[in-house]
Amino acid sequence: MTLGYILMQNLRRNPSRTALTVVAFALPMAIFVAAISCVVALKEIGESNAKQLRLAVHDKTTLTNGLPERKRREIEALDPDRKRLRAVCGMRWFGGRVPDEQNTLTSLAADVDTFPVVYSDAGMTETDVEAWERERRACVVGRAIAEQYEWSVGDRVELHSTVPPYLALEFRVVKIMTNPSVANYFFFRRGYLEESLKEAGSENPICNVFWVKCHSVEDLRWLQVEIDRLFAGTSEATKTEDESVFKSRFTQAMGDLPGLMEAMAVVVVVIIALVAGNTMMMSFRERTRELAVFKAIGFASGRIFAIVLGESVLLSLMGALIGIVPTAAILLVFPVRRLNYGPISSLEVSSDAIIASFAIALTVGLVSGLWPAIQSLRLQTTDALRRVA
Amino acid sequence: MSAADIELREVRKSYYKDRLEIPVLQGLDLEIEAGEYVALMGPSGSGKSTLLHLLAGLDRPDGGSVRVGEAHLESMSERERTRWRSRHIGFVFQMYYLVPVLTAQQNVELPLLLFRMSSAERRERVGTALDVVGLTDRADHRPNQLSGGEEQRVAIARAIVTDPDVILADEPTGDLDAKTSSEILDLLQLLNSEFGKTIVIVTHDQRAADRARRLLHLDKGVFERDEARQASSAS
Amino acid sequence: MALPLRYHWLSLFARKTTTLLTILVIAAVVGVFGWMMGFHAALRDSLSVAGDSRKLIVIKRGSTAESNSAVSPEEFNRLHQLSDVQVDPETGERLISPEMLVQVSLPRLRDGGATFANVAVRGVTKSAFKVHQNVSFAGNRTLGSREVIVGRAAAEQFGGLEIGETINLGHGGIRPYEITGYFSADGGPMESEIWGDLHSLMNSYNRSRYSSASLRLGDGADAKSVLERIEGPAIQLTGATETDYWDGQAKWIRIYIGIAGGLVAVMSLAAVFSIANTMYSMVAGRTREVAMLRTIGYSGGQVLWGFVIESVLLSLIGGVLGCLACGAWLSLVGNTKDMFGATTFTTLAFKISMNWRIVLASLILVSVVGVCGALLPAVRAARLEIVAALREP
Ligand SMILES: Nc1ncnc2c1ncn2[C@@H]1O[C@H](COP(=O)(O)OP(=O)(O)O)[C@@H](O)[C@H]1O
Ligand SMILES: [Mg+2]
Repeated sequence: MTLGYILMQNLRRNPSRTALTVVAFALPMAIFVAAISCVVALKEIGESNAKQLRLAVHDKTTLTNGLPERKRREIEALDPDRKRLRAVCGMRWFGGRVPDEQNTLTSLAADVDTFPVVYSDAGMTETDVEAWERERRACVVGRAIAEQYEWSVGDRVELHSTVPPYLALEFRVVKIMTNPSVANYFFFRRGYLEESLKEAGSENPICNVFWVKCHSVEDLRWLQVEIDRLFAGTSEATKTEDESVFKSRFTQAMGDLPGLMEAMAVVVVVIIALVAGNTMMMSFRERTRELAVFKAIGFASGRIFAIVLGESVLLSLMGALIGIVPTAAILLVFPVRRLNYGPISSLEVSSDAIIASFAIALTVGLVSGLWPAIQSLRLQTTDALRRVA
Repeated sequence: MSAADIELREVRKSYYKDRLEIPVLQGLDLEIEAGEYVALMGPSGSGKSTLLHLLAGLDRPDGGSVRVGEAHLESMSERERTRWRSRHIGFVFQMYYLVPVLTAQQNVELPLLLFRMSSAERRERVGTALDVVGLTDRADHRPNQLSGGEEQRVAIARAIVTDPDVILADEPTGDLDAKTSSEILDLLQLLNSEFGKTIVIVTHDQRAADRARRLLHLDKGVFERDEARQASSAS
Repeated sequence: MALPLRYHWLSLFARKTTTLLTILVIAAVVGVFGWMMGFHAALRDSLSVAGDSRKLIVIKRGSTAESNSAVSPEEFNRLHQLSDVQVDPETGERLISPEMLVQVSLPRLRDGGATFANVAVRGVTKSAFKVHQNVSFAGNRTLGSREVIVGRAAAEQFGGLEIGETINLGHGGIRPYEITGYFSADGGPMESEIWGDLHSLMNSYNRSRYSSASLRLGDGADAKSVLERIEGPAIQLTGATETDYWDGQAKWIRIYIGIAGGLVAVMSLAAVFSIANTMYSMVAGRTREVAMLRTIGYSGGQVLWGFVIESVLLSLIGGVLGCLACGAWLSLVGNTKDMFGATTFTTLAFKISMNWRIVLASLILVSVVGVCGALLPAVRAARLEIVAALREP
């Protein structure tokens, strides 16, 4: 009779309790794996952004105020030898919509020459870059958008701008970006936009953001200060931010879902710990006498300890399995990015998230079994045998 | 002060274990007059508890009839029997079965909550019942603050508080020492002699049996002996 | 209810740990539920205030919101053709308000200014106060050329908006405007805005076009037919009633609430299972007590009710605790929140608060959870074979 056998027998003894516990554990666990996936994904994006060493330069009062395109040269002039700064890419908000669709896409016109360098997370190969430079109407599209509208490389697509003067432009997809950090972006050549604006009679070459790619973190810090100093006091004062700070404006403004998810993850851990702890207390109380008998017939304390703790761990892992696997499967089959809701569009179950979820389940199992297990060590055989269940 | 007579005719009762029939009572006939004090003896497994449960309407016979007072239990629905039981039967268990979280007084009050009754009246009745069992001073104690004998007395108070016609006791002294047992038996006897209750007590204790006016021996589902005797009261 | 409440109460606490742990599970779920309800209510209140169906917001065709719309003065003037617009009894003019919307980035007070919000700055004329009827402002409605007034919600949540302070607006943020007063808008979205004089702001932002026009429909006018005329060849703009406008802007908010609601639903279900577990153990631990009650005349139904009541009691304690925790969280950690409209890119600020309706809703939810959790165990107790239970050792 192995320990495993005893454990299984114990769980089968009160099947309804085992089932209820497992389900009560599995449901919050399902939330946990989703929440932690979200957190992990955002962290990964944050890290990948941090690796990009980009600064966002925009108008001090608001993003919607454009800065004249000549600012790019002025920024570049701060570091003529390019020791600190690698490249600057100006971007202008287009706010395009697929005709007859409600969603405004995160569509931006970018400087053709520097975009592939500054947005290296777009993952453009040499041939991609060639196509991008050759084709006046080239656009690179994030995977979430491409999947939603079933676009593939070579397709001609049309977007209608939602900002004055509400241009309708045609593009040709040259690249689909798979990196999660750009899965919801649509980039095209700014030159094309400015020319079209000129044709429409509203020439006014401006950029909403200048992305400044730096060589190192120190360079980034230096430039962040220097750029703002350069323009301070002028009518074109700027604010220069880390990419993560810049983006947090948007996640915050969309309700701070990452914050909600983090809070949920904590609440969920508390709940499952309580659920598991509760079951272990009940099960221990009912079995006090039996454990005493084990002890009386010569089971080592360590073994009894292992029996109690093992049951808790086993229960937790079963609950985790039942909660995590279907959730992960669902998230894989129906990627949340289809919702096109900024903060969670990057939600994908990663192995990290799954490992983290199991680790939490294991920890909860251990912790909640610990108290009864310690109680079992203190069990006075004679006392317990006398105690009426 | 009320009492009921009891009449059993051809009562059969079997249990089934894995489709195997275990006959317990096999055509039992019995008449108990109102106000009688009957002791029921017999080896373990002979069907004493089963019989008591039938008398209380907790269970139904497979065949035959059980009449207690006006009630023909074999033809009553569970709901009717439950309602009837609350009014006509007082049951005393071997293990007392007091609610551990309630005081003696509250335990005794439990059956009264099924009646439309003012709380003043309830209090008065509980007071009387506790007085009968001699536990007025323990009214506010919890079961775990009482001795076994006291617990059983509370249980008896609970059984008589509704003023039932019949008191059924299943080995009420089975868990008590000799001295306490005799106190409990005195009490039951008092209920019989002073209040005229019909009492059926299951016991293994010869001394308990000796106090009864009538002694029934049950074995393998039939009465082996039925002795009427002069109760040697307070011997 | 046959058994006294005291009996249930005491029985619950006869098993302290189990009961306590279950209560805490429920409290955690209710805490989250309460917060979410508060959030939902705050938004709904705010948006329903905005939902004035007699008010039309007119924007440029092809734009999605006031913030990306540009309406030239000529286009604006064409609106005066509309006959179904209410007339101002004082001036005899039609109630059409030209407006310009820009944004200013302001620090959130909630996180000590670590993050910034895009706050809407609206250039208005005197007529705006008549079109937007829920806006109430005590001071002079002809705003000075270098002064702005601030919505109360904005003043509470974003930095630098005290009366007497100056805020730098205009292109490049070089034109200081003095804050001279606060206005309220019944908690609607305009309360998250800053208002200044239309012409002064247009000047500061080098703009020659308005963003939008708001107009108030005349008595008996049909919004739909007015909108058709606005979209027709004579005017060539587009618009929506304010109700529909905000409904469209609430898309992200709805997704957010959907997600939060889904999470709460899953957790409530977990709470049901957790309670069921506890109640099964309660029933199992009290078989003989139930048998005794049945013997002394309690019916199966009464026993069933007893356990349901016990479970609801347990849940209610958890519910009250959860509401308290949620209230404490809101008052200690913070109750302010802001969100973008789906396409406006301007911020809607609101305050989450516990009110009696939310507490009531939480307690109702928790009672339902309690009943659901108790049902199967209680049925088991009611169906208990008395005779068999009495025989148990
Ligand atoms: N639920 C049951 N299922 C099967 N057999 C039962 C059941 N209840 C009682 N019995 C059997 O019925 C017989 C009579 O039991 P009982 O009336 O309790 O005897 P006593 O009280 O005289 O000891 C015993 O043999 C017992 O095993
Ligand atoms: Mg027996």
